[in-house]
Amino acid sequence: MGNTKILVVDDELIIRKSLADWLERDGHKVETAVSGEEALERCKDTRFDILLVDIKMEGMSGLDVLKQIKESDPDVDVVMITAYGSISTAIEAMKNGAYDYLLKPFDPNELGVLIEKIIDHQAQARENLYLKELYKDRTRFESMIGQSRPMQVVFDLIEDIAPTDSTVLITGETGTGKGLTAKAIHTKSPRCEGPFVVVNCGAIPEHLMESELFGHQKWAFTDAKETKKGRLELAHGGTLFLDEIGEISMRMQIDLLRVLEDHVFYRVGGTQPIEVDFRVIAAVNRDLDKEIKEGRFREDLYYRLNVISFQMPPLRERKEDIPLLVDHFLRRFSQETNKPIDNISREAMDEMMLYEWPGNVRELGNAIERAVVVGKGRKILFEDLPIFRSEYLTPASNNSLNEAEKTHISRILNENQWNISKSAEILGIDRSTLYSKIKRHKIPKPA
Amino acid sequence: MNVPPEHIIVISPIGDLEDTSLLNQISREINRIFTHPTEIVPLLKDVNFALDPVRNQYHSTSILEKLERLSPINTMKVVGITMVDLFIPILTHVYGEAQLGGKACIVSTHRLKEGLSLMGSRHIYHNRITKEVIHELGHTFNLRHCPDHFCIMHYCRTVKDVDGKSDQLCRYCKTLLEDEMKRPAKK
Repeated sequence: MGNTKILVVDDELIIRKSLADWLERDGHKVETAVSGEEALERCKDTRFDILLVDIKMEGMSGLDVLKQIKESDPDVDVVMITAYGSISTAIEAMKNGAYDYLLKPFDPNELGVLIEKIIDHQAQARENLYLKELYKDRTRFESMIGQSRPMQVVFDLIEDIAPTDSTVLITGETGTGKGLTAKAIHTKSPRCEGPFVVVNCGAIPEHLMESELFGHQKWAFTDAKETKKGRLELAHGGTLFLDEIGEISMRMQIDLLRVLEDHVFYRVGGTQPIEVDFRVIAAVNRDLDKEIKEGRFREDLYYRLNVISFQMPPLRERKEDIPLLVDHFLRRFSQETNKPIDNISREAMDEMMLYEWPGNVRELGNAIERAVVVGKGRKILFEDLPIFRSEYLTPASNNSLNEAEKTHISRILNENQWNISKSAEILGIDRSTLYSKIKRHKIPKPA
Repeated sequence: MNVPPEHIIVISPIGDLEDTSLLNQISREINRIFTHPTEIVPLLKDVNFALDPVRNQYHSTSILEKLERLSPINTMKVVGITMVDLFIPILTHVYGEAQLGGKACIVSTHRLKEGLSLMGSRHIYHNRITKEVIHELGHTFNLRHCPDHFCIMHYCRTVKDVDGKSDQLCRYCKTLLEDEMKRPAKK
């Protein structure tokens, strides 16, 4: 019961409609496709979490849809819908990576349980990924780096904002350092001796969010074997950082608003009000105005969060910081890998200055880490930076920013056989951002 | 009483469903939860037009469309109550169906008798029907299924679950309903 994106693929209108209506009542965002071909087109534009695909369709079969989808995005879970006569095909589909199959007509319980199971498993995977990233970021960035004008503005803002107790909303593209900025505000604030508690609203499964935020009393639910403090309680006296606030469910928005207003809450299953005192910093890489217009984000919560807000500049707007950042990452990774690499060739640096870095500082860090790992001498060479090595990449100086980004993304996708997860990781952006960029640039997938 | 247009919630018993105490209970509960006046208006004598002879069940979506078309001019929402077994094509059966954020919904009493003896359990049966009516009407007010097992908007897999849930909206669904109620006023 959440914002799972589901694509129903069936050539029968009545099946598409009834299934879509049913799933929408569970709170999912559902789209439909009349054929396998249309489904693949849709998947280029939108990243779906789950596909429900009829095996027997006019034109492209469900099995072919499954194979192509799995090839481009192995993380999408596909459930095959089949009639009694084609169970053997369903089993073949399972061998090709389908999550499960349903015999039609199916019991509504069976469908509900299966969808919940998939959502749980996907949320778990997302959380693991976030924890990995969090660990990486903690070990990599101990400070914020930048001498450029946009970064000086950010530093000044941090100095001004930190001593106040106002709620802060940080916006900006992925990889621009919103989390680091939040930490910097905390460190410079009077609350610096208190805890800095991070909640990644996009990584915690919705059904666990309530207990994560508010904690729970012993036996509040079957698995609650001990009383547990939630993150709101843990943030008492310090700062609560709500990362990816745009991902939080409508239900949690209601609760969060109440806590931000009253600073009082109850543990799940608890009857005692708990008073908390913390500062809130939230970060978002989505357009919250649009989310409000589309009814996915509460306006009252937005105004509560948006007391002070500012945007983190993308790396392409502060290229003069690249040499500093490169130097920082070089020292760090050469130390971590125990390799005496302490310099970078002129040619490599020139290319870095021309590149637009759609994944921002995180992408730059990943590129240097890779170069240090593969580098043979004391100096990073152009050849050690595979992002610039392709024949696809024409000099960016002749291209617009858009063209350069398109070329780079195309190349990474092709080098990784259109494996979206892998490509997104290399680019240092999340998969949904990569999908939207593929759509925006109309990057064709090779046949 | 002067009721503004499109503020009535119509309860439409279908066929032989003439249990006045049940209809009164439903009316009271609708009024309590949604704070709108109700009227009992039988709109359909039968639903034979929706019968699928192969499955021997009735297609709920086509009944909804008809209810919506036939509802009186001042109808805000209409809920049909039928004794026949309902289905939508992809599923084996449904307890009810609603137009999400729309006007019409329907509840079938057919499977709600499960596990009840004829004598002595009338009030349980009535409570089940009433809860499912409120649940389906909730969908027409744009409420989705709720993970809270005690909330009336919780999707019940069995009649036991229906018995287990309360006759109330949880605080989240209450807030979302209030938001939804305010929406037309904002426009």
